[in-house]
Amino acid sequence: MTGGIGPVEPGEDTYLRNVTGRAGPGGRTAPSRTRHRRTVRAAGAALLLLAASGSLRADRAREPAEAPPPYPSQAVTLAYLDAAPGPGGARGGGFSFAVRLSVRSGPPVTVTRIAQPSAGLSVASSPAAPFQTKPHSDSKIIVTLRVTECDKAPRNPGFPFLDVTLRNTRAIQTHSFILGSRYARQLSQALQVACGNDSR
Amino acid sequence: MRQRSLIAITAALAAGALTLTACGSRDDDGGSDSGNGGGTTVVIGVDAPLTGDLSALGLGIKNSVDLAAKTANKDNYVDGVKFEIQALDDQGQPSVGQQNATKLVANEDVLGVVGPLNSSVGESMQKVFDTAKLVEVSPANTNPALTQGVDWQTKQVRPYKSYFRTATTDAIQGPFAAQYVFNDSKKKKVFVIDDKKTYGAGLAATFTEEFKKLGGQVVGTEHINPDTKDFNAVATKVKNSGADVVYYGGEYPQAGPLSKQIKAAGAKIPVVGGDGIYSADFIKLAGATGNGDLATSVGAPVEELPSAKEFVANYKAAGYKEAYEAYGGYSYDSGWAIIEAVKKVVEDNDGKLPDDARAKVTEAMQNVSFDGVTGKVSFDEFGDATNKQLTVYAVENGAWKSVKSGTYTG
Repeated sequence: MTGGIGPVEPGEDTYLRNVTGRAGPGGRTAPSRTRHRRTVRAAGAALLLLAASGSLRADRAREPAEAPPPYPSQAVTLAYLDAAPGPGGARGGGFSFAVRLSVRSGPPVTVTRIAQPSAGLSVASSPAAPFQTKPHSDSKIIVTLRVTECDKAPRNPGFPFLDVTLRNTRAIQTHSFILGSRYARQLSQALQVACGNDSR
Repeated sequence: MRQRSLIAITAALAAGALTLTACGSRDDDGGSDSGNGGGTTVVIGVDAPLTGDLSALGLGIKNSVDLAAKTANKDNYVDGVKFEIQALDDQGQPSVGQQNATKLVANEDVLGVVGPLNSSVGESMQKVFDTAKLVEVSPANTNPALTQGVDWQTKQVRPYKSYFRTATTDAIQGPFAAQYVFNDSKKKKVFVIDDKKTYGAGLAATFTEEFKKLGGQVVGTEHINPDTKDFNAVATKVKNSGADVVYYGGEYPQAGPLSKQIKAAGAKIPVVGGDGIYSADFIKLAGATGNGDLATSVGAPVEELPSAKEFVANYKAAGYKEAYEAYGGYSYDSGWAIIEAVKKVVEDNDGKLPDDARAKVTEAMQNVSFDGVTGKVSFDEFGDATNKQLTVYAVENGAWKSVKSGTYTG
């Protein structure tokens, strides 16, 4: 809908005024076969232009109503990459890992918050939220979890997830991303190092 | 020169506009006749509970597959092929499901089957279909063993290459519910009940395992008989256990009365279940005290999926009497996956079905990929859906309301 079609609408009125001027009284005072032909062709062209631009304009008018942007949770994927060097390290009560956030469709998405639901853990990220991503882009994010209270931290979660709050022009949503067994395993190891291997 | 350019541009635009208009007209008129006159008829079998307690879900499955077949015929989606459905009622019973599988295999026009609803029924049908190399796509079976083998927790082995599903498994659904109950609802003491069936017991087990890993306490367990509706003895045990939440692995015909009787016994605590209780009928059966009960179900909420909106509109326009219910979108996608596989097989064989069409359709299913009602539809090496989304719903003012969604990206 952009490119060649885009400039037509702004030009439409200008062209019409030019054509109307040619067919005005001044034109009729000096008729000639060539001029008349040109005038007819120009008038026909104007009509065609009107029809074409009207159709395109109607399509444009319909487009926003038919295709609103996707909800941010449906436009974004978040995949676990691997453990990453980070501040503190496991012995310092921290676990850093990289995730890839991909915006697959729709407008830019702003990550307004990254959280995780377990008590006893806090979250920080680099880049720090809020940050914006571009449409159809991949961003690498380093997430660092810190143990704040070992008693409340999970020891061996099977399906830990990150709660990510996403905003685009359609909505703001908090979506859980369950990052899979490798993340669960590496998180459990880090938690055991940080809090000891004692069972509850 | 400028004028000539103007004319040329205008003519090109006009031609373009006319072409666009023509395309629109062709689309608009295309549905009046399938244009398959004299072509091949392919039957998509449907197996689901069409009568009995679970018929609300089963009829939604049947209607949604019917809509997929009609849509393919309307659009002449597979050139020269017209689709019909043959729907059989399994009454939620594994033995009946197995008989239905044999009947569907006997009809040589059947090149794929959508169903069943219940994992226990699915278990009984798998071998029959696999022997006949007839592909089966379940929109609702969630027990992990069906695709990953009975030892799926330690060693995943696909038992049948003809079995696929579009629903997310309980390997994810149970833990997802546990995380929500423990971390978001802040419930720490659970009473776990199941109906001893493949689906219910399996789901309760995956929930329990994760709940314990998170530090939650299981203060009681019970099994109920799904043939009764009197759960007063269990309700009293729940009341006396000090539980702050109940997890139920099973389906809504029992879950509704169970919730009602637990509250009546004096335990004003939420009942939580899986996709088997995510039905409007659960709310009717649970009554007013069911407010605050929770269910997880497969997929994202319908209102978040533009493709689902189109499905909802088309379903309504088709005039089906029954609601599409929890598995409508998954059933449509299951039916459409079969249509896509048939299309591939026909196109690879010069526009005709080959003699070994069933085997070829089963083979083609592994690589099917399309944008469906529920999102991207494709299958992993086990036949499981690659799109793994789940949503937690809560009963609020007599209706299910989505409260949190998650995506498995591991």
